[in-house]
Amino acid sequence: MTETTSIAPGPDAIAAAQGERRRTLKLEHFKGAFARYKILALVVAIAIIWALFTELTQGDFLTARNLSNLLRQMAINGMVASGMVFVIISGEIDLSVGSLLGLTGGLAAIFDVTYHLPLFVNIPLVMLLGALVGAFNGYWVAFLRVPSFIVTLAGFLAFRGVVLGLTGGVTIAPVSSALIAVSQSYLPDVAGYALGVLVFAALAVSALRSRTKRAEYGLPVPPLGVDLGKLAVAAVVIAGFFAILDAYRGVPLPVLIVLVLLGLFTVMARRTVFGRRIYAVGGNLEATRLSGVNVQVVKLLVFMLMGAMAALAGIATTARLAAGSPSAGTGQELDAIAACIIGGTSMRGGAGTVFGALIGALIIATLDNGMSMLGVDTFWQMIVKGLILLLAVWLDVATSTRR
Amino acid sequence: MMSEYLLEMRGITKDFSGVKALDGIDLRVRPGECVGLCGENGAGKSTMMKVLSAVYPYGTWGGTILWEGRELRCASIRESEDVGIVIIHQELMLIPQLSVAENIFLGREPRALGGLIDFDRMIIEASKLLAGLRMGHINVAMPVSNYAGGEQQLIEIAKALSKNARLLILDEPTSSLTKSETAILLRLVQDLKARGTACVYISHKLEEIEEIADTVTVIRDGRYIGDAPMRDMTTGDIIRMMVGRDMSNLFPREEHPIGEVVFEAIGITCLDPENRERRRVDNVSFSLRKGEILGVAGLVGAGRTEMVSALFGAYRGPHSGEVRLDGKRISVRTPQEAVRQGLCMVPEDRKAHGIVPGLGVGYNITLSVLGDFTTAGLIDENREFSVIGEAIRRLRIKTASPVLPISNLSGGNQQKAVISKMLEPRPRVLILDEPTRGVDVGAKYEIYRLMFALVRDGMSIIMVSSELPEVMGISDRVLVIGEGELRGDFINDDTLTQERILTAAITPTRRAA
Repeated sequence: MTETTSIAPGPDAIAAAQGERRRTLKLEHFKGAFARYKILALVVAIAIIWALFTELTQGDFLTARNLSNLLRQMAINGMVASGMVFVIISGEIDLSVGSLLGLTGGLAAIFDVTYHLPLFVNIPLVMLLGALVGAFNGYWVAFLRVPSFIVTLAGFLAFRGVVLGLTGGVTIAPVSSALIAVSQSYLPDVAGYALGVLVFAALAVSALRSRTKRAEYGLPVPPLGVDLGKLAVAAVVIAGFFAILDAYRGVPLPVLIVLVLLGLFTVMARRTVFGRRIYAVGGNLEATRLSGVNVQVVKLLVFMLMGAMAALAGIATTARLAAGSPSAGTGQELDAIAACIIGGTSMRGGAGTVFGALIGALIIATLDNGMSMLGVDTFWQMIVKGLILLLAVWLDVATSTRR
Repeated sequence: MMSEYLLEMRGITKDFSGVKALDGIDLRVRPGECVGLCGENGAGKSTMMKVLSAVYPYGTWGGTILWEGRELRCASIRESEDVGIVIIHQELMLIPQLSVAENIFLGREPRALGGLIDFDRMIIEASKLLAGLRMGHINVAMPVSNYAGGEQQLIEIAKALSKNARLLILDEPTSSLTKSETAILLRLVQDLKARGTACVYISHKLEEIEEIADTVTVIRDGRYIGDAPMRDMTTGDIIRMMVGRDMSNLFPREEHPIGEVVFEAIGITCLDPENRERRRVDNVSFSLRKGEILGVAGLVGAGRTEMVSALFGAYRGPHSGEVRLDGKRISVRTPQEAVRQGLCMVPEDRKAHGIVPGLGVGYNITLSVLGDFTTAGLIDENREFSVIGEAIRRLRIKTASPVLPISNLSGGNQQKAVISKMLEPRPRVLILDEPTRGVDVGAKYEIYRLMFALVRDGMSIIMVSSELPEVMGISDRVLVIGEGELRGDFINDDTLTQERILTAAITPTRRAA
């Protein structure tokens, strides 16, 4: 690669040239494969990190109890990230969700402690309020055309101010046991296994459906063995997942909520008009507008969804802390954005998946959990997380095929 | 052993994820020779030049490149520039805020003591360079943005020459130039040839090739078709080689019945959003009949795009006027309203306003009618894909699969996909703004055929076009717009000539009339 020209036609030179070309091609292939199986690469990364922590903690990391805790820790970030991923796909950003989480969590605590609202009123009400605040953000972004970075930076400051004002800066406790149960209850084993079977069945059906569909439209169909292999891996993962959680107390309710969100939002992204339009808006706003799509409404709805997810996370946080803390959710927006980016969401918009964002959230939770177990200082934890984010994006940039 | 050729590319192959873009192409250039490279859009011309200039580094393509008889293996554009191969891209690559001299020496600024830029030397060298190219009238200290597109193109060439270019690649250099600017550019290329600089000239405008090229190389669908000295060829020969069939009739005009008036625009006025005193479109009214193709002609910047955008509810700025469909006034404040009422528009700038690059071809096509495929809120992809398949077959969109990202397609096929997207809502009136810009001869022909099929089925079409032969070859009636005013409304019969249209375009209307 160093010299520009070579005085060629000797047989050695030609062989060398061919070798060099083959090596370059190999590298290109590797890059292509990495870009295509990014999610798989992330899963492998998780496996490596888990193995490392297990080794360092003499096995304490890989216990059913700790993994159950790990997933519960991840759940709140997962809820926020599964809303954030659509905001980023649509080409926007939301910096206000941490403060909004604090605000809605505080409201949930006030409704519970002061007004004794029952859970089935409290949760929908808080989520509705979250969606309304999201709509407020979205209105400024979509209709008044203020950049989302600015709008949500304003919200970042203002919403935290509102929660401090409402609570007087003090923690609101004690919340009812019903609310605590949102974070602390578990799905018993029988229901857990049934859920596992259901999830697997859904995967199998969709894999087979996609095969017949691809065949019907003349698209290349991967060999049956490949798909069966994938399903077998999925079966092992699902069985392992539920077996581990059942070995401790069962599936934690927040984890179940995140799994339900994963299913719902994946279907929304792929199979609904709204979901499809989010990608189109992020890919080329102007072309989408000129296709007769009301792009402003799409953006407004994306921010509403984000608000509702922040509220759900707020409720879960209050339940987990068993109190409404005015500082809850501080810095949460950055964790959620990091999860989306690590999970392969493009900052330019137009590309990303909920599954990827949740994998990203799992990586962050793993680092937090593992390093805490090892007694690593908080400042080191922050440094490591920052480096991982940088590394993930660099890998993405370095391996994306140039066009 | 010295070769007869400065550059010899042999059996070049290049594929993108399994799709062969180049399949064994040869190209030979002698010192001081100008080779015209011809082919339809998507034939592989630009890919070929990216291989040569190492945008695609050595190893990512197959075949051999010989430079003065020695094999060339460049890993980067920098390396190919060091050898003397310089490419000038279709889009200008100058930085508008920097001065002409700064642009010319960008990245290679002459340094004075202490590493500071030696501006005096830079300006002197740049002036000398431009003077030697008969461009002495350009002030090298002025920002590039002070000069028009044509002069910028010349500055770009000067920049290339200052890098001691021995082979200059010009990729569609005149696509945004006026006639006189083109003439200056062609003269410059002639001068360069005389000085021994070789060039590869890519253009759709065959009269330029005819004027400038010594040899012509033709490629089609990624394959090498042949080369011959220009003096042995006619443009007809080149077109035949490019399309592989006789294109005696570029405009497949078909008779079709024209009915009653369906669409009326009354008093359309658009103000410039930056300067409200200025009227981009000034009180234009016209009507359109069922089954009619209405050509809208005029010079670039006359306000044609602004006018049709206003009709479609997409004009960003204050505007007024009335739009009637079947005699009833309709409201078109947004594109969404327009589409719902049977009015669709294919915008001028395909890349910025037409395609959603990351989405598949199919998803682009169904973007505006997604709601039609839902059952219980979910998109029925079976129904969606059968519609997509239908559209792809009908417009003969060449794509490996409907899920392939649309950005992987050639310009002509992207345009066909954008048109089919705007056909899905089954409009009564279709507005096509420069429908064949950047589209190759074959795809152009198919787009014209499609337009006639559509009007036979009763659709009405408004076609904005800057190419007069196209306007005259396709339209039933021609509107002429000049400086925002309606300056002519002609029935397209034997008496209508290009001269009459141009005269109308530049003659201001009298207010009293």
